[in-house]
Amino acid sequence: MDQGNASARISLRQSADPRLVLADRVRQLYSQMPTAIISTFVVSALAAYELREGRYIEILWFWGGLVVMLTLMRTILYLGYRRSADKVAEAAQWLRWLGISALAAGATWGFAAAVFFPSHADQQQVFIAFLLAVLVGGGIAIYAVSWPIYALYAAGILFPFNYVLATFGNRLFAEIAFIVPVFYVINVGIAYRLNRVFNSGYRLRHAYNKLTEDYSALNDRLEHQLEDLLQAQREVEASGRKLALFAERAPISVLELDARGTVLETNPATEILFGYPGPELIGRGAIEMLCPPGGPALNADIWASFVASAGPMTLPQVLCVRRDGIEVICEFTLIPLVNEDRELLSVIAQVRDITQAIEIDKMKKEFTSTLSHELRTPLTSIIGSLQLINSGVLGDIEKDVLELTLIAERNGQRLLDLINDILDIEKIEWGKLSLFFEDVVLQDLVDEALVLNRSFAERFKVRLEAGARTDGVVVDVDRKRLLQVLTNLVSNAAKFSPEGGVVEIDVSIREGRTRVAVGDRGPGIPEQFRSRIFSRFAQADSALTRQKGGTGLGLAICKRLVEAMNGQIGFEDRDGGGTFFFFELPLKSTNA
Amino acid sequence: MPAQALNRICYVEDDPDIQRIVRMSVERIGKMTIEVVGDSTKAIEAIRAFKPDLVMLDWMMPLMDGPAVFRAMRGQPDLESVPVVFITAKASQKEMDELRALGVAGTISKPFSPKDLPDQLRAIWHALP
Repeated sequence: MDQGNASARISLRQSADPRLVLADRVRQLYSQMPTAIISTFVVSALAAYELREGRYIEILWFWGGLVVMLTLMRTILYLGYRRSADKVAEAAQWLRWLGISALAAGATWGFAAAVFFPSHADQQQVFIAFLLAVLVGGGIAIYAVSWPIYALYAAGILFPFNYVLATFGNRLFAEIAFIVPVFYVINVGIAYRLNRVFNSGYRLRHAYNKLTEDYSALNDRLEHQLEDLLQAQREVEASGRKLALFAERAPISVLELDARGTVLETNPATEILFGYPGPELIGRGAIEMLCPPGGPALNADIWASFVASAGPMTLPQVLCVRRDGIEVICEFTLIPLVNEDRELLSVIAQVRDITQAIEIDKMKKEFTSTLSHELRTPLTSIIGSLQLINSGVLGDIEKDVLELTLIAERNGQRLLDLINDILDIEKIEWGKLSLFFEDVVLQDLVDEALVLNRSFAERFKVRLEAGARTDGVVVDVDRKRLLQVLTNLVSNAAKFSPEGGVVEIDVSIREGRTRVAVGDRGPGIPEQFRSRIFSRFAQADSALTRQKGGTGLGLAICKRLVEAMNGQIGFEDRDGGGTFFFFELPLKSTNA
Repeated sequence: MPAQALNRICYVEDDPDIQRIVRMSVERIGKMTIEVVGDSTKAIEAIRAFKPDLVMLDWMMPLMDGPAVFRAMRGQPDLESVPVVFITAKASQKEMDELRALGVAGTISKPFSPKDLPDQLRAIWHALP
């Protein structure tokens, strides 16, 4: 306890800046100066009036001049202090000046006492003694803030006077001369005590100011922190409400489960999906309630492995049973909530009913399969009949009729191509396309593609040529499918070539891969079309499609096929106009 | 490669339109003899009676589909060795492989080109052992 007080006091002392305390004392001293100056002047005038009848009237004049000069100088000093710019930094200097002025004031009175006391009658002597006592006593009030200054001031008054008393030759005066120093010491003692009281007062004030400052700074900081905390709390509450709202309004079922799979919380979508009111599920095991024993995908073992891994898990097809016994197939996404110590706090399960989606997928597959057969069979008859007519084996046909039957055959073929392309792309996207990889000599395949497509190109009055040849390159591909890609690229190039143009196929090797590039001198790929050229049903110019045929699926199929054969497809502008469509495949071997 | 040229073909197909087209193609372009059977349940008898060099079977037919006719033929000592070609619009790769393993001579996919059909059949015929 004591120690606590002591340390508090120390900190009080330390927290009061001594420079500020000194400045305060100096300010206090100067603030008394007008009183001191005026009272000195008035008392001096009174004294001069009372003493005017002495023998030393010239000395009285001289003393009067001294008082006036002193008053002037003290006034200048006072005004100088008032105007000083930095009262704190210069406080010590101003204190010294004040000390000198106090000594001068005291000495002026001491001079008066020493000169006028012996030269006057008894009455005036009493008056002078009384005056001096008042000045010494009153000085305490004026200079108490600095006891040394007071000591100087009082010494200036009393030492000359005491000297006169002691040397006057009067026994009574000599006795008084013994008492005066005691009186002096007592007064200085009182001044010293007062000085200490003042000092501690100032120190206390500054310490208090500093404490108040610190306190208000602390208070400000606390207020800021409190505001931040409140803001954070509001944000947490808002995000909590948002989360709750998300779960509440979410179209998919959301359950919060504990580590054992017990339901803690559900949302309305869960009630709709499984037919259980929320309270019936809460507190029960989700797996036991929703997943029939022996059902696929979610059981106790899988749950245990999920909890052990503490990572998110998606179960694409889980058989669930509703409250009314109807089976639904759901996709489960399990998200563990773990704390910093990797402890599982709870699990958020998102459950989506995919029964319908699976049904639709099945229907789509069935539809595609039906499309395949039911559309191809009549097309077989249509195209077959037209081909027989157009081939001329049934006899000559009138020119106009032949023109129309040729149109019919061409468009029948186009419809067939479209069906085939759609089936191809569906197969690829369902991962149902099986590729038969074998070693293929690439240049031979390219030559075969040139031969197979020659008659097609001739329809557009375009020549097909092998460009740069690289014999002996072997790639591991599905021969039939790569031929399909080549045919597609070559027929595209032919369609977009100007009449009389040449389509070239270059085979080259670069950086361990082989590259086949089909070059045309066509109009190039329009800028806005470049990004989606390999998308389904992407065609730059639909008028051109009607004129030249094509399904808009060719490049999309090519891309998928090339990628399925571990290659890449792309295109680039050709120097001198036109476009290169190319694919690159990993090199199996070269024996060139 | 068989010694003699391909001449007699028996075709089992339920669709009359396609029957006619194939008949025209084989007769007019291929200059071969063709016997068309519309009812697949009577296919075995018809084949036995016609004694073709090669049998073409449609895949999808009511009552008895192509693969069933094919299996039935394999069970008959006199028909076992007759080469069989499937014409089909729908067959999974797996089924095709299965049939090839059972000894189908070849497959032609629908829609076929009547102009090219005789050549395709002769190519299969020439490829036979």
